[in-house]
Amino acid sequence: MKQGIRFGLAALLALTLTSTALAKKVEITWWHAMSGSRLKVVEAIVDGFNAAHPEIQLNALYTGKYAETLTKYVAAYRTGTAPNLVQVYEVGTQTMLDSGAIVPVYKIPGMLGQEWDWAQYVIPITNYYSTNGNLWSMPFNSSTAMLYYNKDLFAKAGLDPNKPPRTWKEVEEYGKKLVQSGVVDHALSFGWPGWVFEQMFAYHNQLFADHKNGRAGRAEKVLFNGPFGQMVLETWARLAKENVFLYGGPEYSANTAFVGGQIAMLIQSTSSLAGITKGAGFKVGTTFLPRFEGYPRGNSVIGGGSLWVTKGQSKEELAAVWEFLKYLAREDVAVRWHKGTGYFPTVNNAVQALLSEGWFSKDQNYLTAFLQILSGRRDTPAATGVRLGPFVQIREIERAAIEKAVSGKLSPMRALDEAAAKANQLLAQYNKLH
Amino acid sequence: MIEERFPGHPILPYLLILPSLAVIFVFLIVPFAQSVWGSFYVTSFFGDTRVFVGLSNYLDLFKSPDYLHSVAVTLFFSAFVVLVGLSASLGIALLLNQKISGLGIYQIALVWTYSISPAVAGVIWALLFAPATGLIPWLVKLVNPGYTLNWMTNGALALFVVSLAATWKMLGYNIVFFLAGLQNIPDELTDAARVDGAGPWLAFRHITFPMLSPTTTFLLFMNMLYAFFQVFGLIDIMTQGGPGNATNLLVYNLYRDAFIHLDSGRANAQSVIIFIVIAVAAMLQLRAATRKAAYAR
Amino acid sequence: MTRKHQLSFMTHAALILLVVLLAFPVYYALVTSTLSFREAYQYPPKMLPGGEFWHNIQDAWIRARFGRLFFNSVFISLVVAAVKIVLSLLAAFAYTHFRFRGAGFLFALSMITQMLPLPVRILPTYELMADFGWINSYYALTVPFFASTTGILLFRQFFLTVPRELSDAARVDGAGPLRYFWQILVPLSRTNIAALFVIEFIFMWSQYLWPLIVTNTADMRVVQIGLKMLIASEQIAPEWNVIMAGTVIAMVPPLVVLVALRKSFAQGIAMQSEK
Repeated sequence: MKQGIRFGLAALLALTLTSTALAKKVEITWWHAMSGSRLKVVEAIVDGFNAAHPEIQLNALYTGKYAETLTKYVAAYRTGTAPNLVQVYEVGTQTMLDSGAIVPVYKIPGMLGQEWDWAQYVIPITNYYSTNGNLWSMPFNSSTAMLYYNKDLFAKAGLDPNKPPRTWKEVEEYGKKLVQSGVVDHALSFGWPGWVFEQMFAYHNQLFADHKNGRAGRAEKVLFNGPFGQMVLETWARLAKENVFLYGGPEYSANTAFVGGQIAMLIQSTSSLAGITKGAGFKVGTTFLPRFEGYPRGNSVIGGGSLWVTKGQSKEELAAVWEFLKYLAREDVAVRWHKGTGYFPTVNNAVQALLSEGWFSKDQNYLTAFLQILSGRRDTPAATGVRLGPFVQIREIERAAIEKAVSGKLSPMRALDEAAAKANQLLAQYNKLH
Repeated sequence: MIEERFPGHPILPYLLILPSLAVIFVFLIVPFAQSVWGSFYVTSFFGDTRVFVGLSNYLDLFKSPDYLHSVAVTLFFSAFVVLVGLSASLGIALLLNQKISGLGIYQIALVWTYSISPAVAGVIWALLFAPATGLIPWLVKLVNPGYTLNWMTNGALALFVVSLAATWKMLGYNIVFFLAGLQNIPDELTDAARVDGAGPWLAFRHITFPMLSPTTTFLLFMNMLYAFFQVFGLIDIMTQGGPGNATNLLVYNLYRDAFIHLDSGRANAQSVIIFIVIAVAAMLQLRAATRKAAYAR
Repeated sequence: MTRKHQLSFMTHAALILLVVLLAFPVYYALVTSTLSFREAYQYPPKMLPGGEFWHNIQDAWIRARFGRLFFNSVFISLVVAAVKIVLSLLAAFAYTHFRFRGAGFLFALSMITQMLPLPVRILPTYELMADFGWINSYYALTVPFFASTTGILLFRQFFLTVPRELSDAARVDGAGPLRYFWQILVPLSRTNIAALFVIEFIFMWSQYLWPLIVTNTADMRVVQIGLKMLIASEQIAPEWNVIMAGTVIAMVPPLVVLVALRKSFAQGIAMQSEK
């Protein structure tokens, strides 16, 4: 009986709330960088949200690539015209933390007098965006790197298509076999070379920068030119010399060579899975990133982007934004997002739902990356991934060093030392200003 | 000296030039002054902190191998666009300048590339050279089996392709001006030279080419502006400065520092450096133009 | 054949070859725009058109919202060309028909436009747009372009050739300077106006960097940026057939303007080259 009364009161309250809200819709804006097929999924989710919340009008605007969206956000914030919510890529995390322009998401439920269960998010993902255990931005599109391989070419070269390489030693061995058998001219390439380099550090629990990877204070020095970094780059340079490794350029440019069958192995973001499967005229296999033997186990790093909430909004707007962030954590929404884009589902119950529905067993490749991040360790800053202020530039510097080393222009050691000097200079400038 | 054609209107001329000057002042001169000013500072990403650093943005640029590389790439690219573009279009204009039938048709059939935007030129040449599917890599493979022409991984090739695309787009513009210049040279001059027994080459060297020099200097300057600035769309569509900075022109480097790295001090310093280069070129053009004018009188 | 005929035959042959060479990339693009996705990826590359042209155009049109972009590009190109023409006419009139203090200095100042292209002032201009609240608006896409060195020079050159008798006669008839300007000088400048229109329309239609940074949303973008979006949205295998259909859309308007006004354009340029 008591319950009934409480329920009735709540319903009445909700009714009055909605009716006042109906009189004045709360309008909120979200800037994002999702284009192409992802844009369609975003639009479907936004439409679903607006339909479910008649009191809110969410306008989602594609504002260009990640870098462009961030620049536009900065300019808009400076002139007081920033959107309520913005999607920022993972390398922009430190910039956003230092901006003073945002409300950390972990504080929002408290500000609204609500409770929220933070444990429902997938831990390795939230770890990446957390500072001192608190989540500052809402994970949205998260991916990591894995190894793709061409099962048909493996078979042609006399390799077992169901036994992909697990270590770099095996990559080298298989690669040589693939090249020597004449199936391909080169065996392996990467997308996002700087990111793959960073992956190797986290994957083997090695620090990439000081101050615990920039997570216990701002990073002042990068550590990538130490013995581990040298070993990684020497391996890659050797593979390049043996024609096993083909440098494939930044971002997604190496995908064409893989889909075209010119190489047999590709290290790339998991978010390319749907596109590669669609474009490839062969059986695509996926597996964990290759390991260097004798180094400790870490975890692969999260890439992609997260959602940041702008400071200084009215309480109604903030509540509306929060409704949307909660909506994204709904099981069906998270499942839809994953299926439509290949990005990780960010909440545990969505993972459960996908498992029980048999989604992963239908296409094992969607499971690979998931198992990879769940099986790695997540309790060290080294395995969680590095945080740097001028990260965009430093990642380009890493890429340049890799290019120089694999093309034989510089020795791996010199390329890394040169890159580290440049990166440290940028860090010093950044820290002076922020 | 301008003759006064409507005396007794002391205010009117100022009113007439006011709109133009207002636009120039507000959107050109003031922002440029701010560029100069901003080049002496470093600024945080969100612009809330700035620190005066004097000339250190400039010093850093000139110490940076990447920036010097970008300078070198720009020099090669502009030299290619200017030299190859101008000589090819001068040759075509000379052919057109013969008294032939159907001149009007040829003219439009050769000039239309002027209407193509740099971005469109970029897309089309990217298609021609597309590594896995393009026509030219296919032709190369026919001639040289087993070799894959891939400008997305071969920096020197990428720079060449980008230069070629940019030059192609500019041919139409250059031909228009060269042809106009050629048609303004009185026939009597060249005819007289012929009568004096000079061959076509001598006539070209001693009469046509010198007479054409105002057009040539003008085009030199315009092509340089084009190669420095307007090709941004072409680069952004084709290579985004890559592979490995091989096509990272100064204007692209500037864009990246300003809008991707959010390093405004460094970006402003690059703006000023580019301005100095352009100003020097403009002075040279002006001097050449006035000297020729004095000479012609 | 006489030597002269031979020469003329050679010239024609050379010119035809050049025309074909120059047009070939565009021909290839056109062919690609008529193919299906599979055909665009077949070896040997197709050299003859297929039947998918309208389908691809539709696809590009919908995917990059070309309808809106097309309107935006046409609109800003027309506005900027028109305003530039008017402002340059006015300024050139002042510089050629009046003596006033500081004329030389102010003229030099108007010539500075050429030396201050966007990249040498890009960040502050962008910040100015933000301060004005013009980001993502037609103001930002047009107003900063309103000054034109080319226009002022072109009209100045022409006005100087207009015989003094005309203005004297107008003055005797009691016409003020503005009436003379609108009723006599401007109509006389038709050819130059058309030439400048071609130059400025094409210039504005080709703008890329500025629209890229000052527009935020799909409804304010321009055709050139639409092209970039069409390419960037495909990571694996570019849909060249659709991209080329978009390219065709982006190519047509400036080409139409150039071809339609080619005579005036050529004459205007010729007039400017006269020294």
